[in-house]
Amino acid sequence: MENWETKVEEGQNPEELQPGQTPSEEGGEQSGAKLRREASDGRDLYLNMRILVMMMGTFVMLFTFVARIIVVSGPSMENTLFGGDLILVWSVGYTPKQGDVVVLTQENYQEDSIVKRVIATAGQQVDVDYDANAVYVDGVALEEDYIKEQMFVPHYGEGINHVTVPEGYIFVMGDNRNNSADSRYPDIGLVDTRCVIGHGLMVLFPFHHWKGL
Amino acid sequence: MNMMKKSVSGRAPWLICTLAAALTAAALRKWQLASAFEPDTGLSIPMAPASVTLACLLVMAAAWFLILTTYQPVSKRPWTVGQAHRWDMVFLDAGDPVYPILVVLAAFVAVASVPLLLKTGIGQWQAYRAAIAAKDQPPSNNGVLTIATAVGALLAFLGLLQMGRDGLHAGRRGKGGFAAALPGVAGCIWLMESFRGHAANPVRWDYAPQLIAIVCGMLLYMDFAGMSAGAARPRRLLWLAAMTAVMSASALVSAAAWKGWADVLLLTAQTLTAAAVLWRLPPNLENPPKLKGTPAPRSSGEAGRQEETTDE
Repeated sequence: MENWETKVEEGQNPEELQPGQTPSEEGGEQSGAKLRREASDGRDLYLNMRILVMMMGTFVMLFTFVARIIVVSGPSMENTLFGGDLILVWSVGYTPKQGDVVVLTQENYQEDSIVKRVIATAGQQVDVDYDANAVYVDGVALEEDYIKEQMFVPHYGEGINHVTVPEGYIFVMGDNRNNSADSRYPDIGLVDTRCVIGHGLMVLFPFHHWKGL
Repeated sequence: MNMMKKSVSGRAPWLICTLAAALTAAALRKWQLASAFEPDTGLSIPMAPASVTLACLLVMAAAWFLILTTYQPVSKRPWTVGQAHRWDMVFLDAGDPVYPILVVLAAFVAVASVPLLLKTGIGQWQAYRAAIAAKDQPPSNNGVLTIATAVGALLAFLGLLQMGRDGLHAGRRGKGGFAAALPGVAGCIWLMESFRGHAANPVRWDYAPQLIAIVCGMLLYMDFAGMSAGAARPRRLLWLAAMTAVMSASALVSAAAWKGWADVLLLTAQTLTAAAVLWRLPPNLENPPKLKGTPAPRSSGEAGRQEETTDE
């Protein structure tokens, strides 16, 4: 790039230029135009990079504080969710409610997050009756059209199946009751509401699974 | 108004306020780590005094720096020979060694993180491959983003070196600031890697300060680059530099506590860059560096303040 500094370095006396003198005044319209053109090329590249960086920052801030996109792994929520589904999870200002699909992390079970359905919230009594294939909350059997199949006693035994949920906790289960590590499983147990990352709102991908949750 | 402008001109208010806010943020973060999380589960205690105080400090610092930017005098410099853009030379001061020392130090601190990141990333990749080969459940992190962050840190090193050199060497000043876009883009990769590491963490206080610090740093570098790319935002650049220093100080405490040494080095690098910007930019905005054959700046004050961002 030929510019004023280059001329200085090549030994031309900068004092020859009068204060306020511009390339056009010097008779250097061509070099001035070249300078502006080169600067314009750099500006376009810079603006594109700035958009990229700003978008990246915005997305990560949104994912951190507002909503996330989570990939479902494993069969525990079939037939509501399948492995590989991308779901939109709403985080900001969310309080778990009965029936919601939630994403949570129980680090004493695994480091990655898990997806489950809230069966009961603080103060509610949960009773899981495998013989009757029913879950009772405060003595009332839930109508669960979302479960995959009839429940059987899990391989670890009945686990936690009669419990009153304390303040600040929730009881969660997978929709695929026979293939789900959930609040019945002693390693997971009742889940602190602070472990909830957010509420699953909808399946985004694949498109043929697209639906609200 | 003029008295107020005079009283906040120069680098002293910026450096003093930023240093005070950064040290306070670091102390509060240390207090928060000691008192605002349950020792057995690591979950945050709702409305813990340390968390509330830290959040208030960060908001107040952001507001205070906004006020400082409002009163930052900015001269209007006319187009002159050799200038591609009006703010091309704003980081130039051949007689001042502080700026290049800080930026070159930042470059070497950034490059020091490369072996740490590579070691971690390659270890994660090997563990991932081993799990696949053994047909076990592979770990969720395959190390690719960590290795990419190492490459980004190397790019940041090159960009920062060029930035430091541009601050002394007049021959490159027409395009020099554009090198800052390199660490800016490298920050994107680092941001993804940091977020990926905490995507399943429900405790936002664990990682939000670091993510915000990285975003501030990325935007700082991009605005730095914009000064010589016809998209100058000098006041926003100052605000971002101050916030980068404050947020990085807060994130540094937790990164050091959790022995994330690569993050410590990268955060230190962007803090040093922010300090360099705060050292040189305020006085140069007020009194742009004088070069032979160029006229003195027209004026500072109200007129200049209105003209600040007309470069775009």
